[in-house]
Amino acid sequence: MLEETIFIIIGLISMISVLFVALAIVSKDLLKAIMFSAVQSTLYAFLLFLLMAPDIVLVYIAISVGLLPLISIVLIKKVGRYEKT
Amino acid sequence: MKKHREMIFITLLIVIMLVILIPTLLGGIGPIPHGDIRPLAKAYLNSTFNIYIKDLWTASPEAVAAIVWDYRGLDTFYETIVFYTAIVSCLILYREILGKRDISKGEGLSIVVKRVTAISLLGILVVGASTVLHGMLTPGGGFQGGAIMAVAPVIVIIVFSRLLVDTSRLSYSKVVTFRNLAILGIALTALIPIILGFGNAFIFQNQYKRSTNFSYPTYIFDVPMGGSLWFLNLFEGLAVFMAFYLAFNIILYSEEVSKEVILGEEYGY
Repeated sequence: MLEETIFIIIGLISMISVLFVALAIVSKDLLKAIMFSAVQSTLYAFLLFLLMAPDIVLVYIAISVGLLPLISIVLIKKVGRYEKT
Repeated sequence: MKKHREMIFITLLIVIMLVILIPTLLGGIGPIPHGDIRPLAKAYLNSTFNIYIKDLWTASPEAVAAIVWDYRGLDTFYETIVFYTAIVSCLILYREILGKRDISKGEGLSIVVKRVTAISLLGILVVGASTVLHGMLTPGGGFQGGAIMAVAPVIVIIVFSRLLVDTSRLSYSKVVTFRNLAILGIALTALIPIILGFGNAFIFQNQYKRSTNFSYPTYIFDVPMGGSLWFLNLFEGLAVFMAFYLAFNIILYSEEVSKEVILGEEYGY
């Protein structure tokens, strides 16, 4: 029973993360796109935790929620915030 | 025209997915192993912290750290070298401005942000250090802890302004030296069994084996130390922290300074 519940939660989190990936791709405001991809990374960290890989979660959170958005923000500061159509 | 292009793109994606999916489902990559034929994994996990077979154990309750640094130590060593070289080549690209003082003389953010950051910085560093130092007991280890600690210098540059980093004692050359020492530490930890065992040992040896007599510490008081794993985690954590520090130091230079690097030959660079 517990295993099924965990699998259902994994499925739900995966679906929500797909939504945020789509939002990040569609968004013309690049800052928002970075935020969406950070939310998606947080959901992936949950997934990894549920799949019993806590050591990967630790590095994943630091890099994909902390360092990667930061580099991207530095980048869009240099190239401009809004995507040109 | 745009619609056409989108349709072609979508069809292409579906075709690629099918090309990968169908052979996989039909068993094109060979038979998928059953759950009950994993003797290799069982052998590793059974001997990782097995106090009854001390000839084979790694003295670390954390199986991932044991496999990464002890059973597959050379793999991880090469990974570390790849990361080290990647940062070195990144530094070479920016060699014109390395160690230079930035021209911006900002004061940083407001006093409220500074105080809050000062408190949380300590937390970040402590969590990172504890992840590194407990790598043989809990999930985590050198790279994870180093990456957690690397968030700290980035926040410092943004909140307390670039000037603080430029005038601090942790200068560019010192950081590079520390990083090289950390890599040297990893190499030495791998080689010490051979040096102290007078050749009667092998590299990345952790505990005493039947044919050898060298052993890293197994317990300190009643804490399992994991032998060489503790040292390797520590050096790896330091190396990763310093590497990220250098990389972010370069990326966060102000535009006028970093432009010097990319201007091109016609401007005399």
